[in-house]
Amino acid sequence: MLKHNFIHELKTLTRNRWMLFLGIIILVFFSFATFNGHQKVEKRALDINAAKQEVKDADQEMLMLIDSVERGMEVSAPYWTIPTSPMAVGNYHPRVAAMDPEPWAFIATGQSDLFTHYVKPTVAGDDHTLNYTEMTSPIQLLFGSFDISFVIIYLLPLIIVAFSYNILSSERENGSLRLLASNSISLQKWVIQKLAFRFLFVALVSILVLGGIFLIKGFDLFSNFGEFLSLVLVMLGYVLFWFVLAFIINISSGSSAKNAIVLLGLWVGLVLLVPSILNQLGNSIYPMPSRTLMINDMRQIKVDVSQKQDEILDNYLRDHPEYAINDTTENRSFYHRYMASQMLVKKELEPAVSEFEDQLKRQQQWLNQFKWLSPAILVQESMNHIAGTSTSDYESYRKQVSEFADIWRNHFMPLLYNNQKFSEADYKDLPSFQYKSKKTSVKANLLLLFVISLILGLTFGISHVIKGKKASMAMN
Amino acid sequence: MINTNNLTKQYGDHIALDRLNLNIEQGEIYCLLGANGAGKTTTINLLLGFIQPTSGSAFINQLNVQENQKKSKRFLAYIPENLMLYPTLSAVENLRYFSGIGGKEFSIDELEGFLTEAGLQKEAHHKRIASFSKGMRQKVGIAIALAKDAKVLLLDEPTSGLDPKASNEFGQLLQTLKNKGVAILMATHDLFRAKEVATTIGIMKEGKLKQEFTAKDITLQQLEEVYLNTMDYKQLVP
Repeated sequence: MLKHNFIHELKTLTRNRWMLFLGIIILVFFSFATFNGHQKVEKRALDINAAKQEVKDADQEMLMLIDSVERGMEVSAPYWTIPTSPMAVGNYHPRVAAMDPEPWAFIATGQSDLFTHYVKPTVAGDDHTLNYTEMTSPIQLLFGSFDISFVIIYLLPLIIVAFSYNILSSERENGSLRLLASNSISLQKWVIQKLAFRFLFVALVSILVLGGIFLIKGFDLFSNFGEFLSLVLVMLGYVLFWFVLAFIINISSGSSAKNAIVLLGLWVGLVLLVPSILNQLGNSIYPMPSRTLMINDMRQIKVDVSQKQDEILDNYLRDHPEYAINDTTENRSFYHRYMASQMLVKKELEPAVSEFEDQLKRQQQWLNQFKWLSPAILVQESMNHIAGTSTSDYESYRKQVSEFADIWRNHFMPLLYNNQKFSEADYKDLPSFQYKSKKTSVKANLLLLFVISLILGLTFGISHVIKGKKASMAMN
Repeated sequence: MINTNNLTKQYGDHIALDRLNLNIEQGEIYCLLGANGAGKTTTINLLLGFIQPTSGSAFINQLNVQENQKKSKRFLAYIPENLMLYPTLSAVENLRYFSGIGGKEFSIDELEGFLTEAGLQKEAHHKRIASFSKGMRQKVGIAIALAKDAKVLLLDEPTSGLDPKASNEFGQLLQTLKNKGVAILMATHDLFRAKEVATTIGIMKEGKLKQEFTAKDITLQQLEEVYLNTMDYKQLVP
């Protein structure tokens, strides 16, 4: 029966132009999504490169200025910006801490339209006030980005619904079901085989189209084959889930209209409502502390410590006797006091910051517990991981920047407290930031996707058998 | 070949079929006559296993239909009132599909042979079903039965909507199948065709088999009279 059903499906779907129509739709959607995703990534890469170029140009000017000063020439610049001062370099010549896009960034916008991809931490700046948020159009946020993850998560299920909502019901409505059922076949098996063909068709076309587009775009598919395989498996898991749902609805035997409405209802519920409700609940149960309040606290602490900066500096030097020993000038400027107090401010703020981070962690853990409720969440999360645009990627980036800010600051501390000048020779020792991407495996989500489909199919199958509700009875 | 033993189907208080006993042998054409709702289609549905009997049992080739749903269907073919095939496929492709899912493989020549035997013109063999008349589709249905080598043929109002020529051709095809030893049960309103093709005629009313007689023992006029009497339509006869 399998061979005949496959040949039959191939012929009927080809002749009524369904296959052509679907092939074109999938090609158009994936092509546009890839183009759109690439545009965003290119813009991101251009922004980062522009920022890096700006720093390079500024560095050239800085080196020229240092050279002029070292030669004893007069320079026309405010004294606090002259780069022989380590604080001038640390503040006015910061490095770019950029989160370079991953090779697969174009498949899922993820959090990338919410966060910026480069910052420039300075020695005197506050790490916690670094602004990582990006200005984004609220309309864009409402509708999402038309990228590959959008096509897979939102549009593929709709294509599957349109392609499979009436497998059995159309036979009933056309009158061919009675003739079919008069043969010694199992209607459940018959429906499964028809859906299997359609599943294979959608899967094959999607894989070929994606692979083809990536190759045409000049994407090195073979060096990134692991990620491509993950992407394909996640997509197949999700497509399989929707075909399992279509099978259940087909066998439950409503009219074509009822099947379509139920499947569309499930799409709305699983793709739109469940993720949104879970997100809202997560925010209600674990509300994030206000960032504004945190910054206000920080300002208050700064005011407090600014009133006792001399005392703080004394304490700081007591804790760092190496600076006091090496310093022969005893010259204590604004920055000596300011930087010492900055350390204290950071220490004092630690509880508030960790409360913010802990709450975010708790919120994410809570959401993780329920992500199985919607395969759309599992797929979105997996694709964001592959693309390197997930919440955890941006969290990792933020932490790396924070660590780099410390490295940057600490690099200048000995120069500052030893009252040494920054020279041309010191330039090559300036720390630079290199983003280390956080590889998160999608195996668990993938397994969960297939397990959900399996459990759903098995539960329905068993309950169907227990009820003794044979599909053939649904003809009447 | 086709047997029912006190076959009864009840929907709530309504008895759709009341203790029906039928015995149709090989090479016999049994025509069930009756008004709408008399229980003819219910009988066929029960023999096909589409519905479960409230009591009693139905047998195809000595197999209890309810206990051997898939097995019993191997021996039967069914032609509904409106035989709907796949419109985008040709007659040969439809025939190949329906015989294929039943587990039978045939070459194109063999498939064309069945269609020719069923009376379908050669030039129609590879045409799409969408362009077929009802009579032509019924012929494909007969070809499906021939390809299946069915021992039992169940027909539900197969001649309704057919023009006299097509109806006559259909009757001849049934005779061919009868001569091959196929047991045929045909539910119909068509007294004339029933008289023409049947070996036995049964008249049903309100789920009960009211009359049963051998077709050759009765004239068409007598059949009509008995039918109208059974249906209490006598007063309408001029």
